[in-house]
Amino acid sequence: MTRVLVIDDEPQIRRALRAGLERNGYAVTVAASGEEGLDEAALHPPDVVVLDLAMPGTDGFAVCRQLREWSHVPIIVLSVREDERDKIDALNLGADDYLTKPFSLDELIARMRAVLRRAGAGDEPGTPTFTAGDLQVDFARRIVCLAGVAIHLTPTEYELLRTMVLNEGRVLTHRQLLAKVWGAEYVDDTRTLRVHIAHLRDKIEADPTSPRYIHTEPRVGYRFRYRP
Amino acid sequence: MNAASTREVLCPRPAAAGRAGARADRRLGSSARGPASRIWGYAAAALGALAMTGLIHAIPGTRRIPNISMLYLLVVIGTALRFGSGPAILASLIAFAAFDWFFVQPLHRFTVADPGEWLALLMFLVIASVTGHLTARLRTQVDEARLRERETAALAEASWAVASQVSLQGTLAAVLRRIAEVVPVTAATVLNGAEQDAPEVIASWQSESDGLPNSAGGAVARALPAGAESIPLVAEGRALGTLRLQLRPGRAMSQQERRVVQSLANHAAVVLERERLGRMQTAAEALREADRLKTALLSMISHDFRSPLASIKASATACLQDPRHADPAAQRDLQLGIIQEADRLNAMVSNVLALSRLESDAWRPQREEAALAEVIEAARTGLPADANRRVRVFLDAAVAEVWLDPVQVGQILHNLLDNALKYSPPTSEVELRAFQEEDRLVMEILDRGPGLPPGQEQRLFDRFYRGPHLGESAVPGVGIGLSICRGLVEAHRGTLTARNREGGGAVFRVVLPQERLS
Repeated sequence: MTRVLVIDDEPQIRRALRAGLERNGYAVTVAASGEEGLDEAALHPPDVVVLDLAMPGTDGFAVCRQLREWSHVPIIVLSVREDERDKIDALNLGADDYLTKPFSLDELIARMRAVLRRAGAGDEPGTPTFTAGDLQVDFARRIVCLAGVAIHLTPTEYELLRTMVLNEGRVLTHRQLLAKVWGAEYVDDTRTLRVHIAHLRDKIEADPTSPRYIHTEPRVGYRFRYRP
Repeated sequence: MNAASTREVLCPRPAAAGRAGARADRRLGSSARGPASRIWGYAAAALGALAMTGLIHAIPGTRRIPNISMLYLLVVIGTALRFGSGPAILASLIAFAAFDWFFVQPLHRFTVADPGEWLALLMFLVIASVTGHLTARLRTQVDEARLRERETAALAEASWAVASQVSLQGTLAAVLRRIAEVVPVTAATVLNGAEQDAPEVIASWQSESDGLPNSAGGAVARALPAGAESIPLVAEGRALGTLRLQLRPGRAMSQQERRVVQSLANHAAVVLERERLGRMQTAAEALREADRLKTALLSMISHDFRSPLASIKASATACLQDPRHADPAAQRDLQLGIIQEADRLNAMVSNVLALSRLESDAWRPQREEAALAEVIEAARTGLPADANRRVRVFLDAAVAEVWLDPVQVGQILHNLLDNALKYSPPTSEVELRAFQEEDRLVMEILDRGPGLPPGQEQRLFDRFYRGPHLGESAVPGVGIGLSICRGLVEAHRGTLTARNREGGGAVFRVVLPQERLS
């Protein structure tokens, strides 16, 4: 059973998440403060941490930093503020994804599944092909099909799509994508990334301003997630 | 520096000012003239008297003319007219002495033989002195009258300037020009009295614009070190600034000139006071507006926020009732309603937050290069799925890459799309067209709703405005959406307008400047 540690100072959120996640088959531990959460994580190492950013005392940023000193456990941060800066900071401190309050339980479970899948699989596809909606990626033959018809992608576009598909459901920052696809020396070249994403979308999205596969997280990055 | 010491520096003690004024007045009739010209006056008086002596001596037979001494009176009167009473009296004394020495028996001695000659000489001295004095006074009165005339004209012009000029600088500059016309100055400045250490120049005048006939002389005169006069500008007992005058070298101010300058300084003070009051009024209006906004927000929170809360509570309590009687479909309906109302409440909170950030000016656009398709994507993300399907986007390739704040413009487009979708029939399409016009990015949102009530096109963007045809709370919580849009567009230095669409419906048009759009 997957063990989830929920760290949030609001009792209503802790109660709702415990009930909702247990009903979905997770083993849930809750902590009411950053200190308590760090202790709990050390005593009973969880499989995934759900962490509120805004807490009195040791806040989510500090917990994130301290956890990352000794653990690779996937972390999903919860933020009330619509400030992209907070999200970017948390991601830079080692968080794997974020969710803005208020959120639905479905969204949280989808994020948890995405980060857990990544934690298990590493950088290799677990399956020879990937399918979502009309889109099919054949990793072995490096072929991408849309509704059964092969489409032509440049090697860079293919690498971009492959990287995003392997991280399905999870946000990838501009820097992460640039480092993985282009190399560490290109991490600031967001314009290149934007242009390639636009080309890729033109090829796989019916309406790039309302995409079904590749979604924009403004100022942060992109997320591959099939939404019919 | 504390207020008390500032005041002390700004306001000269009255006693000192009085002394200085009296000294200036005693400084001969020709008080407007400097010490150099006064020395010249005495020298000219002495020379004149001696020259007249030489003339009487040189012309043969003149000595025997009775009362030939009266010729000296010409010199005395001339001196008095030109140089004032001091040199005139000197001229009388020298004339008296010279006449006695050269023409009265015994010659070349100051002794007088004939007692009749004595009387004549004394009479001459008295007449010369009195004539000289009276002439000089007449001259001073003429000078004063002329000065008063200029003063009146200057004050009238200054009053006119104060009344007619719109800008503070323009009015003060006009007052300074008047001062320069009346008083011998090379430079005049009005300084901001707020900080004594580093006063700020509000307005200034330089003698270059005076059109001096001798520019070389002007340049030399400016190079000479000379004293500056500082006059505090006080209105309603409040020190508002300082008038600083650089007098022409060798010139001092007479009491009359000082009076004129004081009157003009009062005008300048009135101008500064008026400007200060104007600023205070603007600030007070901004506060009133902020207060009005707060009141409106509070009433909106109490009215509009209550309705989703009411349905959430009603639905949640209904869900809790005995499940044996509950129809599963109805149960699900209630739960979906709770989620929808929570989302609506969340959107309202975001809008209130956005509005208060805009009002406090804390939400400046962070412009960056962005893909317009991604901005539109962000705008469409929060829309309900069925509403989003009604949106058609026409995006010109020329504006694929834009220069703006993607988050804020995303919110603008979201609010406009949301508005258009809510106010138009659920089967109609809403179009979003983005294209380039000269160096500007234009985005138009076109709907097939009821259109805009005539004459209300601008009121639409007022806070808490709702279309009258929609009735109370038909579409709640969207009143502030458009005013947020306008605020954000203006923060981007763009324009947001609305008009009716041909064939029915409304068009909202956002125009954003694109300095970096190629």
